[in-house]
Amino acid sequence: MQHLDPDHHDGTSQASPHREAAKRRPGELLFALALSALSLFLLWDAWGIENAFGPNGLSSPRAIPLAASFAMLVSAAIVTLKTARLPLERAETVFRDILPGVVMLFAALLIAYGILLRPLGFLPTSALFLIVAIKLLARRGWGWTIGIAAVSLLVIWLIFRILFSVLMPAGVVPEAEVIQFVRTLFAQGQS
Amino acid sequence: MAVSILISFTFSWEVYPAIALMIGIYMGGVYGGSRTAILLNIPGAPSAIATALDGYPMAKRGEAGTAIGVTTVMSFIGGFIGIGVLALAAPLVSEFALTFQPRDYMLLAVLGILLVGSLSQGSLLKGIFAGALGIAIGAVGRDPLTFTERFTFDLQLMEGGISFIAVMIGMFGVSEALLQLHHVHTPSLRQKIGRILPSLATVKKHLPLSLQTSTIGVIIGALPGTGGDIAALMAYDHAKRVTKAPERPFGEGAIEGLVAPETANNAAVGGAFIPMMTLGIPGDAVTAIMIGALFIHGLNPGPMLMIDQPDMFWFIVGCLVTANVFMLLFGLTGIRLFTKIVEMPRAVLIPLIMLLSIVGAYAVNNSVSDVYWMLGFGLFGYFMRQYGYPLGPVILGVILSRLLDDNWRRAIISEREDLGLFFHGLFSSPLSTVLFVAVIVIFVSQTPLWARGKAKLFGKTEKTA
Repeated sequence: MQHLDPDHHDGTSQASPHREAAKRRPGELLFALALSALSLFLLWDAWGIENAFGPNGLSSPRAIPLAASFAMLVSAAIVTLKTARLPLERAETVFRDILPGVVMLFAALLIAYGILLRPLGFLPTSALFLIVAIKLLARRGWGWTIGIAAVSLLVIWLIFRILFSVLMPAGVVPEAEVIQFVRTLFAQGQS
Repeated sequence: MAVSILISFTFSWEVYPAIALMIGIYMGGVYGGSRTAILLNIPGAPSAIATALDGYPMAKRGEAGTAIGVTTVMSFIGGFIGIGVLALAAPLVSEFALTFQPRDYMLLAVLGILLVGSLSQGSLLKGIFAGALGIAIGAVGRDPLTFTERFTFDLQLMEGGISFIAVMIGMFGVSEALLQLHHVHTPSLRQKIGRILPSLATVKKHLPLSLQTSTIGVIIGALPGTGGDIAALMAYDHAKRVTKAPERPFGEGAIEGLVAPETANNAAVGGAFIPMMTLGIPGDAVTAIMIGALFIHGLNPGPMLMIDQPDMFWFIVGCLVTANVFMLLFGLTGIRLFTKIVEMPRAVLIPLIMLLSIVGAYAVNNSVSDVYWMLGFGLFGYFMRQYGYPLGPVILGVILSRLLDDNWRRAIISEREDLGLFFHGLFSSPLSTVLFVAVIVIFVSQTPLWARGKAKLFGKTEKTA
């Protein structure tokens, strides 16, 4: 069967550029080591799970966590060993192919979004995020960027706030009051 | 990705419209993935990977309309065959499922995780790691039986567990959006759309192949843990072997290269609902998400659902039929409009996907901590993808963790915690034996041991993967 990687879609994605199973991508060994360390930590933590109602037998609450973390550790350790034996892919670099500046920037933007969401509220945080993100990626004028961001945000807000009734943090925007004001306005117009 | 993001918005809905929406998105997503595969050579869904192999070469020749028309009609045919098999087989399977013991459910869960791990990526070890990670994530929080804290690290935040929706949106949505940043400046090619509706002669000519590949699709879809992506790749491979004289070589715009994966991946949709509805075990990642959604709506997918609420089963079948019909109608009439959407600049699309992911993760529990989990898993999933770790088993592991845990404990308690008795029981039931052997065979077949054994047996030297 022709093998194509479903997670990399067409197999020609830059996520797996010139990918050869016989070579190790930059940072791959470090990632495998980190996964092994995580597995070991989880195994140690799972061993500490105590059954409050009886002995720590095969049916105790630790059984499946222990089995899962043990499977993680064994598989991660073998993957690490196998990865270590592979020659490094010299055509790739971490900062160009694995974690380019744009990905790091967006990771930072997402984290900033998470931090600002509660204090600022959904609308201002999302507006800021979209303007910065679209400006960075599209490299177009401010008018175009703000226009696209505003229209997109309005559509998303209308669909999810009004249609799906999703209550996002209001923050500094008196969202409920504005909606109530608009509803009252419409109600007066109809009467 | 679409289902994972949109599912969280339906939690406040009545169960029926919520299910209808999810099915529509699922069906539309499987079909719609072919659109970008043909026009941009970037499949919109993993199930459309094989479609790009011949679809894009056709589009480059100016035959994008024909390619889209063929995929639409073939998706419709495949979809109907899958739904037909679901309607016929599910009631029978659910009756049989009533005889399942807890150990059988446990073995089915293991089988599902192993299958998706070994088939989707090719590296069993990475698949096992991903599946086990999913099970560990699913175990976070208080144990429902003894209320013991597991993997909580004494943090109150973790006592309630990690929302599987946050894990899923992060792993599928955010990681995909981050990955797409690598292509952000790849220009979208404008394709000329010519004749759309394929001729009756074309449909007739490829009908036998579509029936064969639909069968592959249904079977692969019905296996726990395997979905449209694997079905499409296997069907493509089948088409290459059985088509003696394609009009054009495979990989250069062969229509058979479109017919096979598109019928198979849509047939796999109906197939994937069989284990979900009858056993409560997901057929693929999307049905795993739907099982989670059904739980949230107070329903418990499995044989009892089919007996207690047969209306729900037939409602799902009805929704699938409706979605399939509308897929054909919208697919054929809206080609030009959808092509415009495909041409939407990624510089706008990627931030919007990220924003929708954030809204989706927040909407589940109105909790900012879910957003943090989602972002964390998004970044982690990005690295997993970069280094070839499959994400499907993680999601399946999270969903199946509870089922595995409950059934293992039930099974071992009923055998008085005696492993000897457990294995005796395993081999005294034909079903348990078959499932256990299947688990072992799948596991061993991915190891160098198997390749060496085969080489010895057949006297050939085979290179191990």
